[in-house]
Amino acid sequence: MAGIYIHIPFCKQKCTYCDFASYPNQMAKAELYFGCLYKEIKAKKDLLKGKKIDTIYFGGGTPSYVDAKYILGAVRQIKNYYNVAENAEITLEVNPGTIDRQKLEIYKLAGINRYSVGLQTYNDSLLKRLNRIHTAQDYLDCMELLKGYNTSVDIMIGLMDQTVEEVKKSIDFALKGDVNHISVYALKAEDGTPIYTQYLNAELPDSDEVAEMYDFTVNYLAEKGYYRYEVSNFAKAGFESRHNLNYWKRGEYLGFGLGASSFCLERRFTNTEKIDEYINAILKNYSAEIFSEKIEGQEQKFEFVMLNLRTNKGVVFSEYFNAFNSHFKQDFKDKLPYVLEYMEETEESIKIKDEYLYVQNQIIIQLMD
Amino acid sequence: MAKKDNIRNFCIIAHIDHGKSTLADRIIEHTGQVAQRDMEDQLLDSMDIEKERGITIKLTPVRMLYKAQDGKEYIFNLIDTPGHVDFTYEVSRSLRACEGAVLIVDSSQGVEAQTLANVYLALDNDLEILPVLNKIDLPSARPDEVAKEVEDVIGLDCSEAPRISAKNNINIEQVLESIVKNVPAPENLDDKPLKALIFDSYYDNFKGVICFVRVMEGTIKAGTTIKTFMSSKTFDVVEVGTFDPHLQPKAELTSGEVGYVTASIKSIQDISVGDTITDLNNPTQVALPGYKKVAPVVFSGVFPVDGSKFNDLKEALLKLKLNDAALTFDADNSIALGFGFRCGFLGLLHMEIIQERLEREFDLEIVTTAPSVAYKVYKTDGNIIEVDNPSRLPDTATIAKMEEPIIKASIYTPPQYIGPIMDLCQEKRGMYLDMVYLDTNRVTLTYNLPLNEIIFDFFDGLKSRTKGYASFDYELIGYHESQLVKLDMMLNGEVCDALSLIVHKDKAYERGRAIAEKLKQVIPRQMFEIPIQASIGGKVIARETVKALRKDVLAKCYGGDITRKKKLLEKQKEGKKKMRKLGSVEIPSEAFTSILKIDSE
Repeated sequence: MAGIYIHIPFCKQKCTYCDFASYPNQMAKAELYFGCLYKEIKAKKDLLKGKKIDTIYFGGGTPSYVDAKYILGAVRQIKNYYNVAENAEITLEVNPGTIDRQKLEIYKLAGINRYSVGLQTYNDSLLKRLNRIHTAQDYLDCMELLKGYNTSVDIMIGLMDQTVEEVKKSIDFALKGDVNHISVYALKAEDGTPIYTQYLNAELPDSDEVAEMYDFTVNYLAEKGYYRYEVSNFAKAGFESRHNLNYWKRGEYLGFGLGASSFCLERRFTNTEKIDEYINAILKNYSAEIFSEKIEGQEQKFEFVMLNLRTNKGVVFSEYFNAFNSHFKQDFKDKLPYVLEYMEETEESIKIKDEYLYVQNQIIIQLMD
Repeated sequence: MAKKDNIRNFCIIAHIDHGKSTLADRIIEHTGQVAQRDMEDQLLDSMDIEKERGITIKLTPVRMLYKAQDGKEYIFNLIDTPGHVDFTYEVSRSLRACEGAVLIVDSSQGVEAQTLANVYLALDNDLEILPVLNKIDLPSARPDEVAKEVEDVIGLDCSEAPRISAKNNINIEQVLESIVKNVPAPENLDDKPLKALIFDSYYDNFKGVICFVRVMEGTIKAGTTIKTFMSSKTFDVVEVGTFDPHLQPKAELTSGEVGYVTASIKSIQDISVGDTITDLNNPTQVALPGYKKVAPVVFSGVFPVDGSKFNDLKEALLKLKLNDAALTFDADNSIALGFGFRCGFLGLLHMEIIQERLEREFDLEIVTTAPSVAYKVYKTDGNIIEVDNPSRLPDTATIAKMEEPIIKASIYTPPQYIGPIMDLCQEKRGMYLDMVYLDTNRVTLTYNLPLNEIIFDFFDGLKSRTKGYASFDYELIGYHESQLVKLDMMLNGEVCDALSLIVHKDKAYERGRAIAEKLKQVIPRQMFEIPIQASIGGKVIARETVKALRKDVLAKCYGGDITRKKKLLEKQKEGKKKMRKLGSVEIPSEAFTSILKIDSE
């Protein structure tokens, strides 16, 4: 099992909390960028040689903002050089207000079979304050278009002036669409983003309030039939995101494009976030990587544990043994006693108790060297 | 008796900030001893901490040649001295190596607490005192009034006192001439057996211990077999020399001279400052009067953040101790902090400086506990013990009574601050003794105060209530019986020994509440709720709660950027490693010191 991530660094305007590689007003570079992207896809084809790709994910930026032909081209390029499974999950991030029937036709042609729609909140004035480009109505229109497709929706908690009641309204609104999967992310104000000022001015809900919203979300979504399979991800049974799960299972993946991260052959590497630097490097047949790290020994094991503990399955002992040919409980015997009271154990696996999943850093760092 | 007419040994004494180091630099500059380009900002303050804080802690001698107006050339040995009350002891050490002292008085500030304290020290040592009025270029300078103040308060004739600006290089020549004219030349006692005073020392990795000496009688040179009086050790001198200001080897040092001696002394404990050196083969019969053994008055626990660095900490303390006879330390251990040392200091500044030097010069991360004083505990079985570590206070049932150290404080202030100062002293359980007007602008208030109140936040209180105008000097005068109690802090039901304090019973409630509040702020939230309780003899007097952590997760979607996630976790782990553990509660190092910084207002 392996995945491919494609980064689309274009958007109409930058959201106030966004610190991803995404640039408004750079559409003129799209043609050049995708040319480079295709080249990069080809150049790295041997890295996943012999591996089956069963998930492709287009993230951004706003992938649905660019001409759909580029998406089609990217999938074709991948299929040309990689062994993509027949039933692969191919996801496209979509922003309400940026798609139409025509685009959908092309996406269909490309083989996109899953859409991840960024609603964030039902509240129009809040959407505006976050500098989102859409309204709540745009979301409904978008979901109307996507009827019959496998869709996921993103919502955010911890936004300005948000309360539990507001979060409930957002969930209710999101579920007006035909949704199989929901991601609920807590806002994190990163230094350098416009929203950071609001964070410094304590205009954002504090961590207790966010925890309140989160706990509500977990319970409320469970009532609605969406179970938590990872800290921030909820799904109807059978609709878990394979792409996400691949990350948490420590599966291999290649990331193409600006700022994209990869994990392959026990090496983690990341591309530059500067668009001109990326284009220049690829055109000259250089690597666009600005970071690369070999993962060895205990570090591999720690990563496996840290990632799997994010999920509701936790660490499955047999999977651990298959990966490392050693036993989890033996490898972590010195550290486990400090955290056992927060864990739930069966014959097959060990996971963080539900009530502690949202304070998991405290547990995970205990398992670190 | 014959004199060494061309030698002048002197020091400069002053209240802190009156311009001592600046004048020292000027003198060095005027004698041309050090090329301008070699001069660091203030040459004598060579430790980083000294430069940053603008204070002098260490003594640093400098030898200079000065061509005077009489046409003769003189050797000046200047020994710089610390200005802070904590280091009175070091001042007295350097005074013993001199015949004269230049007393600097800031002509805008006038006589201050340490001006007087230092003058008394100089008089005790029979030094000739040369008053100098500094900072005459300041708009607020009032040299005539200050001259009169010096005459009235101290009784020194100021009619010929140079009026200078060390900063702007005004009238420095007058100071130099005054030194030639007024500082007595040392006596020529070259023919007598060797008798030299070790007034300071430090450890050099190549030469071993370097002893700063003033030769009183006789001669010392390479090859001389020397004997120390107090420690009764013998060494063969390897090198002697002078401070120019860097070590400059010389053939010999003779009576009246100031210089250094090295003798392959490997152990820093083999030499004690204040000891007398003599020639083993031609010994003097009587040692110089030794220094009064200086007793530390403030104590605090010093622990390595990383428990495995215990030995490094020990080495560092030993090295500091070489140059600092006043520093004491004994191994200590604490439930919360593990193995470390109970250290004794001359005062709060001394404590801060040692802590800072451990961190900067020795690259150690340390945790320190709240400072304490030494209490006398009279037990019901008739024994009397001294307790400087609150966690070592015996069971109250076995205590008949307790006594605490009392100081006599002299506070110099402009009259408008008398009210606020009296309020402060009242709050600090002070006993009013006296108030004297030095002139219309300056008043001395005298109080008896418990030392344990001074080490809490007296300095800050005094500074803030007098806009920094008041100065303060004190001496320990003895012990008074007092109603003292041990205040314990409990975290999650367990007493944290390193946070215990001995306080007056009337202050216990207020202090306990303030500390509990402070701890609530500094202890991070953890997986469970942590009750913080202040208690006296098991009775809880204040309570706070650190709520359980509810959100600590990397919940944002970084896509496949696992590296970033890991880095954030690693950073968090680093922070956690620095925490101390008491049971299952994690306590940050700053919790132990933060309780000092509680504003009592």
